[in-house]
Amino acid sequence: MLLSEKQITQLKRRVRETPHPREMILDVLHAIQDANGWVSDEGVELAAIILGLSPLQVEEVATFYDKIYRRPVGRKVIHICDSICCWSRGSEALMQRLQQLLGIAAGETTIDGMFTLLPTCCLGACADAPALRIGKTLYGKVAIEQLEAILDGERTEVSS
Amino acid sequence: MRTCEPLLFKNRRIGETVFLEGYRRTGGYQGLEKALRDMTPASVREEVKASGLRGRGGAGFSTGLKWSFFPSDDPGEKYLVCNGDEMEPGTFKDRQLLLADPHHLLEGVLIACYALGIGTAYIFLRDAYRQCAANLEHAMDEAREAGLLGDNILGSGFSCEVHVHRSAGRYICGEETALLNSLEGLRPNPRSKPPFPAVKGLFGKPTALNNIETLANVPHIITGGAAWYKSLALTEKGSGTKLYGLAGHLETPCCVELPLGMPLGELIRDFGGGVWQQRSFKACLPGGASTPYLTAEHLDVALDYETLEQVGTRLGTGGVVVFDDRTCMVAATLNLLRFFARESCGWCTPCRDGLPLVCWLLERIELGQGTREDMTMLQEQLRYINGRSFCALALGAMGPVDGLLRHFAEEVEDHIRLGRCPLQA
Amino acid sequence: MPTLIIDNQTVTVPEGTNVLEAAKRLGIEIPHFCHHEALGSVGACRLCAVEFREGPVKGIQMSCMVPAKDGMVVDTGSAEVLAYRAQVIEWLMTNHPHDCPVCDEGGECQLQDMTVAGGHGIRRYTGPKRTYQNQNLGPFIAHEMNRCIQCYRCVRTYQDYCGGTDFGVLGSRQRLYFGRFSDGPLESPFAGNLIDVCPTGVLTDKTYRFKSRIWDLQEAPSICPHCSLGCAVTPGARYRQLQRRRARTNNRTNGHFICDRGRFGYGYANHPDRPRYPLLGHRRVTWQEALAALQNKLQELGELFGPGSIGLLTSSRATLETQFLTKRWAAALGSDQLCFEAHPGRDLGARVAASQRLDRTASLEDVRNCDLAVLIGADPLSEAPMLALALRQAARRGARIVVVDPRPVELPLAYERHAVSVEKLGQLLRGLSRPQQSEFPSSMEELGGSLASALLAAKSPLLIGGTDLLGPQGTEAMQQAAEACSQPETPCRTMFLLAGPNSFGGALLSAEGPCFSSLLEGMEQGRIKALLCFEADPLADYPDRKRSRAALARLDMLAVFDCAATATLQEADLFFPTTAVEESTGTLINNEGRMQAFEQVFSAGTPLAESAGGSHPPRFFSRDIPGSEPQSAWGILGALMGRSADLLTLRSEIEKNDHRFAGLSQLEARGEGRRIAAPRQYSLSHQPNISGIMGSDQLQLLVTETLYGSELLSNLSSCLHESTPSAFVMLHPQDAARFKLEEGKKVLLGTPVGDLTLTLRIAGDMVPGMAIVPRLRGTVLEPLVPGTEPLPCRIEKA
Ligand SMILES: Cc1cc2nc3c(=O)[nH]c(=O)nc-3n(C[C@H](O)[C@H](O)[C@H](O)COP(=O)(O)O)c2cc1C
Ligand code: SF4
Ligand code: SF4
Ligand code: SF4
Ligand code: FES
Ligand code: FES
Repeated sequence: MLLSEKQITQLKRRVRETPHPREMILDVLHAIQDANGWVSDEGVELAAIILGLSPLQVEEVATFYDKIYRRPVGRKVIHICDSICCWSRGSEALMQRLQQLLGIAAGETTIDGMFTLLPTCCLGACADAPALRIGKTLYGKVAIEQLEAILDGERTEVSS
Repeated sequence: MRTCEPLLFKNRRIGETVFLEGYRRTGGYQGLEKALRDMTPASVREEVKASGLRGRGGAGFSTGLKWSFFPSDDPGEKYLVCNGDEMEPGTFKDRQLLLADPHHLLEGVLIACYALGIGTAYIFLRDAYRQCAANLEHAMDEAREAGLLGDNILGSGFSCEVHVHRSAGRYICGEETALLNSLEGLRPNPRSKPPFPAVKGLFGKPTALNNIETLANVPHIITGGAAWYKSLALTEKGSGTKLYGLAGHLETPCCVELPLGMPLGELIRDFGGGVWQQRSFKACLPGGASTPYLTAEHLDVALDYETLEQVGTRLGTGGVVVFDDRTCMVAATLNLLRFFARESCGWCTPCRDGLPLVCWLLERIELGQGTREDMTMLQEQLRYINGRSFCALALGAMGPVDGLLRHFAEEVEDHIRLGRCPLQA
Repeated sequence: MPTLIIDNQTVTVPEGTNVLEAAKRLGIEIPHFCHHEALGSVGACRLCAVEFREGPVKGIQMSCMVPAKDGMVVDTGSAEVLAYRAQVIEWLMTNHPHDCPVCDEGGECQLQDMTVAGGHGIRRYTGPKRTYQNQNLGPFIAHEMNRCIQCYRCVRTYQDYCGGTDFGVLGSRQRLYFGRFSDGPLESPFAGNLIDVCPTGVLTDKTYRFKSRIWDLQEAPSICPHCSLGCAVTPGARYRQLQRRRARTNNRTNGHFICDRGRFGYGYANHPDRPRYPLLGHRRVTWQEALAALQNKLQELGELFGPGSIGLLTSSRATLETQFLTKRWAAALGSDQLCFEAHPGRDLGARVAASQRLDRTASLEDVRNCDLAVLIGADPLSEAPMLALALRQAARRGARIVVVDPRPVELPLAYERHAVSVEKLGQLLRGLSRPQQSEFPSSMEELGGSLASALLAAKSPLLIGGTDLLGPQGTEAMQQAAEACSQPETPCRTMFLLAGPNSFGGALLSAEGPCFSSLLEGMEQGRIKALLCFEADPLADYPDRKRSRAALARLDMLAVFDCAATATLQEADLFFPTTAVEESTGTLINNEGRMQAFEQVFSAGTPLAESAGGSHPPRFFSRDIPGSEPQSAWGILGALMGRSADLLTLRSEIEKNDHRFAGLSQLEARGEGRRIAAPRQYSLSHQPNISGIMGSDQLQLLVTETLYGSELLSNLSSCLHESTPSAFVMLHPQDAARFKLEEGKKVLLGTPVGDLTLTLRIAGDMVPGMAIVPRLRGTVLEPLVPGTEPLPCRIEKA
């Protein structure tokens, strides 16, 4: 079940009510992603049905945005900023350390399905560089030494 | 130390958000009340034009002039779109404002809509700014409750709806026409201009587009008047205050509101805490990732639109990113270009295929594999990408390359001559 | 009308023309990829840069994006511009696999041309290239994404121009992907145009894969023979095999594109069962023997029973030249038993259609430019596919498109739909022909009234009808309606869909001659003893097959001249092989009365692939070319009449003989064709009335054309078989419920030609009370022919 019946009905109603149904495309994709962590092929097909578009038409938009995941991700996505301010304050070393700690390369997901590691552009936290975001939490001025604790914290938050 | 009475940041306390009560306590919504009560839409536009306000989104176009092209008096559907994509590295000012004081933007949006005869506004927010979106939604609920949003605002007969749109990444969505496509649910490739959004914008209807900071200035222009607002700037041609970002190799990176036209060195020293670890200043991006570098010889330069143009760069978004003397400018430029190549929308050849080629050249040079031929090629790229792309993304992308070749050609040559990066011991 | 100077030459162009197009008028070709005449400019490739020296714009700009303005001075070849363009090519080539030797586009590749022209000979970029996995896009189009240069032409063609929704652009930055959501055949019936628009070898003709290089192909301007629109095509042949068809540009008709039936219908010319030798009985004979046998028999019959014992029949597939000589020969023989179409309804329908005033007759160009099109009894995708595409262009400019039809009519555009029964169509048309009186039946009042006022108010209104559904009366009624809904400044034009590529020619020549029913009567009564069929298949095309079979069986001689193994050929006493369109020259008159000449592409002969098992050079040698005996039907007729077989003389004669064909001898195959000089004399008289009254719960059976499988020649093209549906019947959901039938299940349809087992399709978008079947050759539905009154039928579970 990608979305509950209720959600589908609600989204369909909103699509019906707007004069420009296509405008809702990201809302629908976000809803599916929020509920499932990512948007699968079936997710695209469901979005197409809700929006009255063809799957290709949805896919054209979905594959443009990097924050719509068209491949499975872990329970939490680690977005580590690799843009200029964070770079200037050690994001490359952070990235290396993260890869070590997680045992994965950028773009991969840990075996336990907990984390996916993705480099991202500027998070708008340049004064707090180097910055990274795990799930919904933004971490600023991250020192290499803190990484382990941060990851542990995020792990326990999930399990609790 | 030069400071100023903050306007946009007057309610800002790090870690706190001010909502309606607090906002009103410091004079919030007086601008809207004044506009609705005492002014015609045309006189609001006049005031903004007279204030000399220039767009804070990066292009620095005169807001009053832009509004004067808008068919404000035409009946029919029209839109205001507030650009909150803020994805240019080194730029984080709009986020600070929304984290601190969301009503500020809302008031600006409402006054702009009144001035332009618009009944529907969209605030386009990048995906990462969820807290900002939540703040705005809450502010909107409060405003609606207080009769400041929706039908017949403050009993004036003016009605306005505001929608917050959550995007899903990609820097190009900040380009105004790409943003319109994105809002419409189309692929966010830029549109060709003409027709300009003011003529044919969102859903084919006239659309005014402004940055968050730009709109947040409007209430102050209305309450304080154009002449007062203009006088706030340090330079003669400048006007108002600016949210400067300070990032990179500084002791105290921050975002700070100061009079427009702050001298670079002073800003770094007094607000950025100086270059970190007691190193010396090598260069900076004066206004976000797309602006050509300034160097040590520019520390006295006033950070405003006109002055920076004279020294071959731009104020952009006002996000200053400082590099210390240990920074390899080839490596820094490579980092910036990787960003732009990755964020290219893929529509036009110079950007889609040219920027990766620039990255490849910079990589070779940085790794010590570069040749003279690569240097020639890099110069060719600058010459042929600049001004030939479909939208301004590629132009901005070449800003750092331009700066590199203008100010640090020797450093690039050294890489080639030595067969390694001279800054790596 | 701005005047500007481009490369020292002055040119004046209409307002809104861009500089790239303005240069083209001077014969200056500015290099470009993303601009396309039919798709417009989008400024994506950035190759078309030129230097503006004087005028409102200065410096280097993209010529496709700058509208021409007075005072501009443009240099298309300054050093800076050339260096920049070379750079664009270098960018595009950084990721290109450079696999020209194995690429089907090689030799006709815009990227090759531009790379060579731009002087990009050495690859400076030595990094890795991005690669892709290809998709299976179905039987027509091969996909090689690595070669893509991201010009976006394919998407713009597929989605914007053709209205397809299953092919597009995915991803972003340097990782764009042009394809589908997942593997599978492209859904649009215009998908083949991707082959023509893609400037590289990404999207190529799968049916032509690895067959030839363009320089080895024989090509010539030709006309598509698969419907009455007469789209311009360029077929290509090699080794005696017709290997492909491409769209050719005719701005009056198809524009730049064609439909997939037209593009992939070419296989009929290579059909392994194509009869290539004269036959006497079923014995292969020489041309002399066959001709002698024919002459002897005709002489014998003529002497015994008089010239009236010889019937002659041609068809809408025959060229004007063939039709004309058939008429001449009939006159020479002294027979008046001559007819130009085996299907009487279609014959009379075409005769009425061809009598429309020429200034009221719409071309496809007129369709593209109309602001209101009302389709009554016309199903474009089935009966004239490119009409659907023309309508889409009108709709894209804001035209209103209304479809009134009992059938489910699909169009690749947004349109208004009214499901209306066959009888009511006639009533609606009669009402429209007297809009002031508003004599509409009560159920049609609202629709009829609104259509009448819309037609009267529109700037360039159009009524479009299919003669199959309208019949002769309906066609006439539509003409009257158009007349009545015309204003002096805003005439309402008509377009009629006819049975074949030269229905119009036959209609012009048929005068007041008999239709095939009366020839059949003659055969039944024993008056007619011989029937000569020139590219006609009466057995398959006359709606009552039982009757035609019985009548033909009574003949002393049935002689068939054809290029396809038709049903009638099976019964022939004498057979003469004729050439396919591509193997000959001739003229076809399309449904708007446009005479269009076509040239010979190649000489008939058994393809090497067949005669030599594909080996080249062949392993055995002889002076004779195997399978080369087919001759043009008009050539054979000339020989029979003992006259020279010179085409030009023949065309001059046709033109002199009949002023309506004025200009025929000057026609150039490469041109836009030429409208006939005058319509047919108006004639419709004493036709049976539409009866159509049946019991209320009696189902009516309607037979209609369909995109693939109905038209004779394209149905012989093996590349279309995968796309041809298997036999089905369509019912309205109400009726399906009434008879307790389920979608996709087998049903038994009782028809005048017997009980047929068919798969049920349920279609909400049709009138109730009707069972609709497509004409599908080679299936149980074959004997059912469109263009008749609805037939009685019954339906039950199989
Ligand atoms: C690639 C690109 C990205 C941009 N991103 C932003 C952005 O994130 N926020 C913004 O306000 N303006 C952005 N702009 C500038 C906008 O196109 C536009 O000029 C601006 O929103 C107008 O508002 P203003 O006049 O108030 O500055 C961007 C421009 C380009 C070319
Ligand atoms: S410069 Fe071209 S490819 Fe780059 S973002 Fe703009 S339109 Fe897209
Ligand atoms: S597939 Fe062909 S037409 Fe489409 S973008 Fe690529 S090169 Fe252009
Ligand atoms: S529309 Fe008709 S004439 Fe044109 S290509 Fe298709 S079948 Fe041929
Ligand atoms: S550069 Fe990393 S948050 Fe801005
Ligand atoms: S043809 Fe002008 S940009 Fe492509």
